[in-house]
Amino acid sequence: MRDGVNIAKLGIPAVSLVTEEFWPQGDFVAESLGMPDVPRVRLPHPVAGTGVKNMRKVAAEVAPAVLKALEGNNG
Amino acid sequence: MADLLTAADESAALEDLHSKGLTDGLPVIIPTPTRVNRMVLASGLEADMVLGTMGPGHGIATIEKVAVAAVMAGCLPDYMPVVLAAVKAVIDPVFDLTEMQATTHCTAPLIIVNGPARHNCGPISSGYGALGPGHRANASIGRALRLTMINIGGGRPGSSDMALLGHPGKFTFCLAEDEENSPFPPMHVDLGFDPDDSVVTVIGAEAPHSVLYSGDGDDPKGYLSLLDMLAIGIANAATNNAILTKGTATIVLNPEHAEVLNKAGLTRQDIAEEIHRRSTMAQTTINKLSPAFAGKDSGNRDAFSGPEQLLILMSGGSGLYSMVMPSWCAGPHKNSASCIKVESEFFCEVPGLANPVI
Repeated sequence: MRDGVNIAKLGIPAVSLVTEEFWPQGDFVAESLGMPDVPRVRLPHPVAGTGVKNMRKVAAEVAPAVLKALEGNNG
Repeated sequence: MADLLTAADESAALEDLHSKGLTDGLPVIIPTPTRVNRMVLASGLEADMVLGTMGPGHGIATIEKVAVAAVMAGCLPDYMPVVLAAVKAVIDPVFDLTEMQATTHCTAPLIIVNGPARHNCGPISSGYGALGPGHRANASIGRALRLTMINIGGGRPGSSDMALLGHPGKFTFCLAEDEENSPFPPMHVDLGFDPDDSVVTVIGAEAPHSVLYSGDGDDPKGYLSLLDMLAIGIANAATNNAILTKGTATIVLNPEHAEVLNKAGLTRQDIAEEIHRRSTMAQTTINKLSPAFAGKDSGNRDAFSGPEQLLILMSGGSGLYSMVMPSWCAGPHKNSASCIKVESEFFCEVPGLANPVI
């Protein structure tokens, strides 16, 4: 989340990927860094360690939401 | 009736308690007669009822004296049944309280709560940071037990509590099991209690040691690495468990690791057996690393006498880290766990103070 905010502050379109378990923490960090509305996309938890096949599946599922969030950035 | 002290005001009373060595070093709630009586009332028991003797000072633990500690620790009256169970657990001879308080080792009573009392006498956290700050019941219940060990048991650093350094869990060390989300039966059920029972298990434990493991969903045998890592953590060559052996020790699986082992088809008993089997070291290695505790020149030394010496529960947030708490492994009962059923049938709710029973 912090990376997403810092990149967005540089004027570069950014979207943070946040897993379900860490969503509240993502909100807290975004708020504390002064960008509560920084784009973010929710991932299932956990992602790490779940295997390449599953990670590809998650990536395919969230790709449209990531693109949509980035389009919002540009808009 | 406990001795009454007098002071000009609460600030003066606090300084007096500090100067007399009656605190844990942090500010306490002043145990005025009104506050203590309210806590005794909540217990539903007689103030002078004796629970037992606490070493090494051999002070007599009464309901009133435990209530004094509970007030000082910041407990709500709702917590009293759990505090009383924890005190009874350490008084039980199997816990070896006198020896445990006096040892140079860094051990503290870890309080594990199972059953409905997690909600009725709390909430006692089993989630993120359950052993850290921010959870009133966890913080004050563990602290109340410590204050009984100081003020009734007489354990004070450098004179009767000879822990060389101690560890932060000696301030407070209390958590619940996340029974609702665990893939395994509640720990107290596997220890022989009914699911509806509330049980406090107290075990002398070192501070939590982190065990890092990130699974690999593509490797069906990946869980074996997790078992290896847990065994290394709980009984590496630097632990008393590996050298002195036969002490009960604690493993707190985080939800992710619990699920990895569950998916591999392992029960709690299977996990304990697998870790027990891995917690062994060549005698020649021990002789070289720890010559003061050398043994024969062949074979292996097992850290545990059997899988039943591993307390395994699920608690905490979901992620890459589980926790292991190696132990002291000494005293007449070799660092045994003590389990006490929480008696809440006498508990008297104090209007406006006690939470409704869930």
